[in-house]
Amino acid sequence: MSSIETTTVELVVNGKRYKRQIEPRLLLADFLRHEIGLKGTHIGCAHGVCGACTVQIDDKTARSCLHFAIDVQNSEIKTVESLATPEKLHPIQQAFHESHALQCGFCTPGILMTTEEFLRGNPNPDDDEIRKALCNNMCRCTGYVNIVKAVGLAATSMSAAENE
Amino acid sequence: MTTHQSNDFVGQRFPRREDQYLLRGEGLYLDDLAEPHNTLHLAFVLSPHAHARILSIDVSEALEVPGVVAVLTGEDFVSLIKPIRPNIEMPTYLYTDRLALALDVVRFVGEQVAVVLAESKYAAHDAIELVQVEYELMPAVVSLEQAISEGSPVVHEHVAGNIAFRGEFASDDFATKHAAGKYRLRERFRHGRVSGSAMEPRGCMAVPIRGEEITFYTSTQIPHIVRTEIAKHVIGCSESALRVVVPEVGGGFGVKAQLYTEELISVALCLKYRRPIKWVQDRREDLLTNTHARDHIYEMEATFDERGVLTSLELELYTNIGAYSSSPFGGTIETTGGARQIVGPYKLPNYAYRCYAVTTNTCASGVYRGVAQPACFMAMEGIMDRIARQLNIDPLEVRLRNIVLPGDMPWVNVLGVRYDTGSYQKCLELARERSGYEDFRRRFPGSRLKDGKYHGIGIGNMVELTGTGAPGWRVRGLQAVSGIDGATIRVEPTGKVSVFVSQANAGQGHFTTFAQIAADHIGVRPEAVTVYEGDTASTPFGTGTFASRSAITGGGAVIQAAEKVSNKIRRLAAHELQVEPNDIVLQDGRARVASDPSRFVDFEKLCLLAYSLGKGALPPTEVYGLEATEYYDPPVVTVANAVHIIEVAIDAIDGRVAIENYYVVHDCGKVINPMIVDGQIHGGIAQGVGEVLMEEIVYDEHGQLINASLLDYLLPTALDVPDLSTLTIDHVETPSIDSLGGFKGVGEGGIIGSVAALTSAIYDALEGIGANVNSVPLRPSHIASLIRAARQSAPDPEATRAKQELTAAH
Repeated sequence: MSSIETTTVELVVNGKRYKRQIEPRLLLADFLRHEIGLKGTHIGCAHGVCGACTVQIDDKTARSCLHFAIDVQNSEIKTVESLATPEKLHPIQQAFHESHALQCGFCTPGILMTTEEFLRGNPNPDDDEIRKALCNNMCRCTGYVNIVKAVGLAATSMSAAENE
Repeated sequence: MTTHQSNDFVGQRFPRREDQYLLRGEGLYLDDLAEPHNTLHLAFVLSPHAHARILSIDVSEALEVPGVVAVLTGEDFVSLIKPIRPNIEMPTYLYTDRLALALDVVRFVGEQVAVVLAESKYAAHDAIELVQVEYELMPAVVSLEQAISEGSPVVHEHVAGNIAFRGEFASDDFATKHAAGKYRLRERFRHGRVSGSAMEPRGCMAVPIRGEEITFYTSTQIPHIVRTEIAKHVIGCSESALRVVVPEVGGGFGVKAQLYTEELISVALCLKYRRPIKWVQDRREDLLTNTHARDHIYEMEATFDERGVLTSLELELYTNIGAYSSSPFGGTIETTGGARQIVGPYKLPNYAYRCYAVTTNTCASGVYRGVAQPACFMAMEGIMDRIARQLNIDPLEVRLRNIVLPGDMPWVNVLGVRYDTGSYQKCLELARERSGYEDFRRRFPGSRLKDGKYHGIGIGNMVELTGTGAPGWRVRGLQAVSGIDGATIRVEPTGKVSVFVSQANAGQGHFTTFAQIAADHIGVRPEAVTVYEGDTASTPFGTGTFASRSAITGGGAVIQAAEKVSNKIRRLAAHELQVEPNDIVLQDGRARVASDPSRFVDFEKLCLLAYSLGKGALPPTEVYGLEATEYYDPPVVTVANAVHIIEVAIDAIDGRVAIENYYVVHDCGKVINPMIVDGQIHGGIAQGVGEVLMEEIVYDEHGQLINASLLDYLLPTALDVPDLSTLTIDHVETPSIDSLGGFKGVGEGGIIGSVAALTSAIYDALEGIGANVNSVPLRPSHIASLIRAARQSAPDPEATRAKQELTAAH
């Protein structure tokens, strides 16, 4: 049995630095899930279509199933686990809870990461803008109705908090 | 039912308790579970051919891949797993057994022919590329039309003409009554093939523990059925030593309410190697191998009188069940479902059907949200629309003239199915009033073409047959689908309540809704209740979560068990307080004297008696413990109902459909949690919109599935579904009198109504130009070609003018 070639990758995930010896072909999604144990990022299609694996690389959303971990060497990655504190949900998560914007919850982490980036750039969106922002994340349970509602609610509550 | 509780958590918009961990990314789905250090990962070699003989399999190169432990083929499994056979007892039914891995012949693209066991998932996937399989091609039969044609190749030698099952029914003296019909129409409806495609693909992990035992984690909706069937099929597996645990499930929709070969193989390999075995599906496998659904042909002839009242219906139904019978539903569930459910909310007096389950060289079909109902109501509502057209009566009016009226209730339909309560007239009338239906008819008295778009409005007037009980499954020949569900309720020594239900939720919010039900019937707040599901070691036997059954069957079992426990609490309290049990009211974890509310005793104190934890003694007539297990066998079916009305605008050039207005009035009996009910309807609507406008599993003539990725199998996105500004949902609550709690199911109504109504709307928009819309899916290219063909045969002057205007504008 020949040995598998590995390489060193170093990156920051949710503010914490990780250094691991990995196969060069290891996907970022698998790195996050299986190397450092952040299972909140899900793999729904592994083709970059469904959006369940959406994370943020240097504050921009990306499909973690389409990146190799070594491609994002030294980047700062943010996953769903970065949003809440032990005491409190992030306002976006709170809005999703109040609006019943999730059912099975599998697509939710990716949608939350997309929403976080979207509201950073557009704090007061209308429904059309929200729908466009969400159209790369698939959800099979909710029909998106309550997700759109939740993103609007999150925008309102975050703007209100900003203005306090 | 007792009236000693004054709690009313059922009916409230109670926030979901499962949200807290799911939103934090802490939900543990199958692939998120901790893997034991010595886990072996499986990957499957799939057949690239629809029908072929396996000549040889060479695994030597695959075995060289670092990390690969073994590569097994069909021969290795002959002594490990019995042929998979659903337990069906129906005359004419022919078994089409499937082997865990193909042995001599493959019968669809995606059928597993070899399995690799490796130390990592990556290694397993490397190795499957290196397994060399030599095939000899055989003639493939792919489409339903081809399979039933003269001289078609056959999928199984013993299934002549590819007919694996035929069912029939005729009401009294049908032929005479059908021949006597005053007016008559014939139509053929075609429904395409779809995939449930939950966002989480399937997966399973078998872990050996304590020597001979196995804990089997699997992403399923039917843990108890899976356990029993694995024990029946995997040689050497003892059911009592097999614990099935369902982790968080990322959507099911029926696709995960099946027994799958990978589940049997994982348990068999766990027994063989005494190592943890894990398999996680990828999306390509999901689309190739998870059960597909629908794929029906309805040949119908209806007779009716001058008022548009149906006098008889004759149906010939063909359903494509794929290469093998799925288990436990046997491939006939779509067949009998379509034929038996099509009657819907209508007072059809004379009915005859012949239905056929047809085998082809495609993936097995199985249950998917709505099962046959989206297809059969698309056909039935199509008949209503055509009666209206033929007699020049308003389509909604025709439906009103045919529905079961309040005075008819309880209604027993022509097939003997009892509808205990319903609100068919009320819902249709409410829909007419609230949906803008009449306004639409006023706005478009003549031509439907306006601003380059054809406008139409459609009606999906439907019933949803929910919560099927044991007799309902037996009548359809299914022996492995019990119909009952169970619940165990235990008031713990500290007074908190544990509820164990035989089901497995995949996003429906059971941890919240069952807590609401238990809280009402025991007399605590929902916060004091914890719900457990999806673990055969702690929950009683039951059928599982599919076919809109949990509220009725699980809810009923919870009510029964809670009543038993609360009766005991009341007796203990009565003993403590020296009153009659009937004088005790339970609320907020306290038993209080109704006639003197200042006197009460906390549950916690009564628990000390029940568990012998304090100084007090149990009354001599009582036994220790404060728990009960009950099984509930619901009525044959509990019939929910709804009306969907959709207004569409169809681009006259490119055929794209825009939903302008969407109205729903829904009646699922007593509502447990309105927020969750609305969520079920929203999700069903989106899937129905997908089913009509974009989703279709496409096989080419060789049986290659040509859209086995989500890039090509289109799921609706946020831009494709009706938005809040156009969607209105009203509720009517007509509690069931047959099912406990008055609940009716709600999981499937959304998709059933939307498929029927959207198809009806597109028909309505285009029938004026002579286009006959009688099939789904209706993708833009299909609609555009219907419009073009209609214009060519009978040019509509307005259409021509509009086209000229548009051309000029461009």
